[in-house]
Amino acid sequence: MAAPALPGLAPTHRYRARSRSGAIARAALLFAGCTLLLAYLLGPVVWLVSSSIQTEAEIVSIPPHWIPDNPTLENFRAIFLAGEEEVTYDTRAQADPVSGGYIPSTASNLLPAMQNSLIVSLAVVGLNLLVGVPAAYALAKIRFRGRQGSIYLILTTRVIPDIALVVPLFLMIRKLGLLDDLRSLIITYLAITVPFTVFILVSYFESLPDDLDKAARVDGCSRLQALLRVFLPLAVPSLVAVVLFALLTSWNEFLLALMFTQTPAAQTLPIVVASFTSDFTISFSFINAAGVVAIVPPVILAVFFQRYLVSGLTAGAVKG
Amino acid sequence: MARILFDGVTKRFGQVVAVDRLDLEIRNREFVVLLGPSGCGKTTTLNMIAGLEDLSEGDLWFDHQIVNFMPPHKRDVAMVFQSYALYPHKSVYDNIAFGLRMRGHRRGDIEHRVREAAERLHIEHLLDRKPNQLSGGQRQRVALGRAMVRQPAVFLMDEPLSNLDAVLRISMRAEIKHLHQAMQTTFVYVTHDQAEALTLADRIVVMRDGVIQQVGGPEEIYERPRNMFVASFLGSPPINYLEGTLAEEAGRLVFRRGALEMPLREGTAVGAPVDGGRAVVLGIRPEDVDERIAAETASIRARIDSVLPIGSDEYLGMRVEGVDCFFRVGKEVRHREGEIITLGLNPARLHLFDPQTGDALLR
Repeated sequence: MAAPALPGLAPTHRYRARSRSGAIARAALLFAGCTLLLAYLLGPVVWLVSSSIQTEAEIVSIPPHWIPDNPTLENFRAIFLAGEEEVTYDTRAQADPVSGGYIPSTASNLLPAMQNSLIVSLAVVGLNLLVGVPAAYALAKIRFRGRQGSIYLILTTRVIPDIALVVPLFLMIRKLGLLDDLRSLIITYLAITVPFTVFILVSYFESLPDDLDKAARVDGCSRLQALLRVFLPLAVPSLVAVVLFALLTSWNEFLLALMFTQTPAAQTLPIVVASFTSDFTISFSFINAAGVVAIVPPVILAVFFQRYLVSGLTAGAVKG
Repeated sequence: MARILFDGVTKRFGQVVAVDRLDLEIRNREFVVLLGPSGCGKTTTLNMIAGLEDLSEGDLWFDHQIVNFMPPHKRDVAMVFQSYALYPHKSVYDNIAFGLRMRGHRRGDIEHRVREAAERLHIEHLLDRKPNQLSGGQRQRVALGRAMVRQPAVFLMDEPLSNLDAVLRISMRAEIKHLHQAMQTTFVYVTHDQAEALTLADRIVVMRDGVIQQVGGPEEIYERPRNMFVASFLGSPPINYLEGTLAEEAGRLVFRRGALEMPLREGTAVGAPVDGGRAVVLGIRPEDVDERIAAETASIRARIDSVLPIGSDEYLGMRVEGVDCFFRVGKEVRHREGEIITLGLNPARLHLFDPQTGDALLR
């Protein structure tokens, strides 16, 4: 069809097509920005992994080798077989100070610490769900006096910095006789994570229509059944977020673990890794190898859970 | 089967009284519509029947049992919600089957009942879909099916049609009426739509601010409203109100407002005595006028401000003695704005109210 130009006016085509050079420039700019951000985020992780398979001599070379010349699994061998080698002043003195390769004297604590971390994290996650889910449902769907106040009170506990609580918590833990006991960590990590869990789930449950709750109860569900059979399946994305938060918080926590644990019986991964920096000598490559071991479980979990983080499951529950 | 009895039931939310000393009997197999504006307590009343709200005072009876604190899953009630409240993670089949599963029906029985309900509602082909793949009308049917399969003693509906478009709403009204006839069970239906109430109900309960205004059949409610609120809530456009005085002249009651003079039917009795005139409100429904009888009866003469054709009829906006009124006339005669016409009134269909209390004076 001919252009329906208005009489007396020449038709202009300025906006008919997008400018090609402009589009390329925009894409290039966007790409550069993304690359920069990616490098910023991934740089440290790449260096961690790369240096974990370098020798101590290579790790300090200038410029740094992002791709190692002589990759070695010596550090990992040391981590998984450390228990069989005894490190003392004498054995250390015999090592070659130039090539490095020092294994910290506390290296054998790493795997037990990992097990401790795993126990604490899983216990914290499990108890979080056990306590947080019913609490959040009740706060979101049952009207009672002091409901709003309770939510704010729970939130308030999160604005107090952990450092302010360390001494009172230490005294309480000592009174309970739980010093150097994994239970001390489980209890205190719950105090940190449960408020967050409840808060996230409350806001999610509140976003689900009340009618859904009513429908379930009229359909024959008790409150608990309504929670388990209707609300929980819908809350999977939020549950995943909550689980990851509780898990990572417990896995990474340092301050409280440092205060409450003294021996390998209860020390967690961050404490043991940190202890490597106060050994006779410092082996950066070994510390980085330990770091790699420490991030593997959370990374696996994140990859496993990420497909559940897709929300939008509730679309269509209620006509908008 | 169930008879529901509210005995002095009050429901308070904090300081707010949602339902105030409600006395109401809903008979077995009756279709009762709770009608009122939003916030009148009708949904709260329905939720109390379902067990979703506790009572603050009074007793609620199902047949011969007080059920004040019986939890919803122990009551034999089913409910359809305005939002449908379908379970988004379950298929249509599982949505409908859920109530039966929770009540421990056998698998074969569930299958049979779900298929039967789906067939009745013409949704057999949708059983594998998820709610978000359905249109509004289809979701509505699934919600009905979910309530139906249970064959409950009481069927509760909370504005089930208000999210549908106008055409679908009319056809679903008819289906709900059929459903009631087929299921032979007690229906309690909440709506703010007076047309829905008039179409569906055996009896209508008009509520306002938590208090029942009138209970009666659709015709009774419409023809003999007990007060000005009921009269204006039913009917569209609403009833016209003219304030004026009522006096007795030569043994006959006459309503006056300015130049308007309207003798009432002979033998009309007003509750309170009329000495030397008393203030009243005259109510004229828009459809109770007729141009053709203008010569024989009391009439209104006024200028047409606006003409609103609605296809079948016409609404005329007129200013009668300083009051804006709407009247409905047939479309045989075409009216124009600015024209002055005379409308005859049927004295048998006039309403009189007390301006102070709002109560009807004619019975």
